[in-house]
Amino acid sequence: MHALIIDDSKTMRSILRRIVTELGFETTEAGNGQEALDVLEAGLVPDICLIDWNMPLMDGYTFVTRVRADDRWRNVTLMMVTTESEHGQIVRALAAGAHEYVIKPFTPDAIIEKMELLGLFAQEVPA
Amino acid sequence: MTVTLEPSLGDVHAVVEEVWSSFLGAEEPILPLATPMPPGGWSAAITVTGGWDAQITVNLTDAAAQAVTSTMLMCPPEQCSDEDLRDALGELVNMVGGNVKSLMAGSAVLSLPLVGHGDISPGSHLVEVCRLELTWRGEPVVVTVHLPPAADPS
Amino acid sequence: MISPTSFAYVADLLRRETAMLCEPGKEYLVEARLLPLARSAGQPDVDGYVALLGRDPSERAKAIDALTINETSWFRDLAPYQAFTEAMLPPLLEARAHVKHLEIWSAACSSGQEAYSLTMLLKENLPPGWTARIHATDVSTTMLERVRAGRYSQVEMNRGMPAQRLVTWFTRAGNEWEVSPELRSMVTTQHLNLAAPFPPMPVFDIVFLRNVLIYFDLDTKRDILRRVSTRISPDGFLLLGSSETTLDLDDAWTREAAGRVWMHRPRTAARPAAAAPAPITAPALSQTGA
Repeated sequence: MHALIIDDSKTMRSILRRIVTELGFETTEAGNGQEALDVLEAGLVPDICLIDWNMPLMDGYTFVTRVRADDRWRNVTLMMVTTESEHGQIVRALAAGAHEYVIKPFTPDAIIEKMELLGLFAQEVPA
Repeated sequence: MTVTLEPSLGDVHAVVEEVWSSFLGAEEPILPLATPMPPGGWSAAITVTGGWDAQITVNLTDAAAQAVTSTMLMCPPEQCSDEDLRDALGELVNMVGGNVKSLMAGSAVLSLPLVGHGDISPGSHLVEVCRLELTWRGEPVVVTVHLPPAADPS
Repeated sequence: MISPTSFAYVADLLRRETAMLCEPGKEYLVEARLLPLARSAGQPDVDGYVALLGRDPSERAKAIDALTINETSWFRDLAPYQAFTEAMLPPLLEARAHVKHLEIWSAACSSGQEAYSLTMLLKENLPPGWTARIHATDVSTTMLERVRAGRYSQVEMNRGMPAQRLVTWFTRAGNEWEVSPELRSMVTTQHLNLAAPFPPMPVFDIVFLRNVLIYFDLDTKRDILRRVSTRISPDGFLLLGSSETTLDLDDAWTREAAGRVWMHRPRTAARPAAAAPAPITAPALSQTGA
């Protein structure tokens, strides 16, 4: 499974990378929404994108709208990970098509549980 | 009707505590004690503009800044470059500032963080409205909120 | 990621030491819980750490503690809440159609995440005209105050709460999130010590008694369950923690499977000894809507 980590902070990218790598994910990183779109255009189809909101060049909200407008990426799970924690901001992000939302600061358990809610660890139930 | 123009000290403290306990507090929590801040050290600031205008700053000694960076990047302090420190402290103030921003009414925009070493204080025209003096691993950590001088009521 | 052999060892250890079951599918959780301990013990990964558990009793104890931490979180473990919605509500909606009201007991409610999780599910699943009451009890008055206040920190809200439900049912209050008055009006609170005689209470349709019996000795467990059986209606449901069972405790109960969860029902002449498992659908991405 593959995670695309999108945040302009190298520190935050490394924190998220450690969490998902320990869950068995491979990772790719991008420093802003435009870089992330370039990665998708180049052919990567991640299972999940972890997306910061405030980034230079293209913010996370815009990235979400661009991904959700493109049928190629309809199965990509989009989870925002951001300090934007006003009620209205979360509503906007979900309306734009984000599947889940984690408020910074977070603990690894929070990311893991949200990924479980999204069905990313769904196992085949033995018959 | 009173309009709240500044966050409460308790709320800012809660924000800082949550940031610390999520990423930095595994071995030692951040304590509500004031320790004298020596000159120099690092300063990380972020501004909020729009529905609310403010600047949030975190001041740390070299030792605390290195410890923050080392903990968040999970690498030994001596291997953390200045660039690493700038990035880690920038994310730290991003989280503190972003959550302080969301305490206040109105929609506002968070700037990119500004991190510097040496004596950096907010512009002298800004008014300090909130000052949190804390101690982590024996080092002082100071978080301040500054506002532009009050506008005349219209 | 933890190897199957190490996972099997850990599951076996847990079962022997705590009677808790650790099912396949939870490897990621075991990995997440043991990795910090592995690092502290100087091990490069969880497999290395598990290898030393066999010969180090103090690490074994730490590992067990880390795996059995009873943190509260929203919709904790998911499966009981799926059982609530898919296996308990449908028959009760039929059986209570004449009163259009449900009484639910969240026993040992702690800070109230379980009680409020249930109110959200009720709001999403009760037909128009129906009401429900969640009676939240705990031995701690501080916890009961928290339930009444209905306020939770950002860090608490990050734990297991689907974002859609967060924005539907909560508003910001300072640095915290506060549950809507609509949900709060469905919850009543009462101080209650499970080990002592119960104060006057109604008969409940559903009782959530999760992850609290483990704190009591065998005789007290039996006594609590006996007294709970007097407060539950004959066609009601009792839900214990995922690792707990009344099988060897009290023959006043039968149990029915609902997905990965056991629902306990009062044993009556009318109840068949073993019911067919209720079908539970797999969670879908869309299942977080208001």
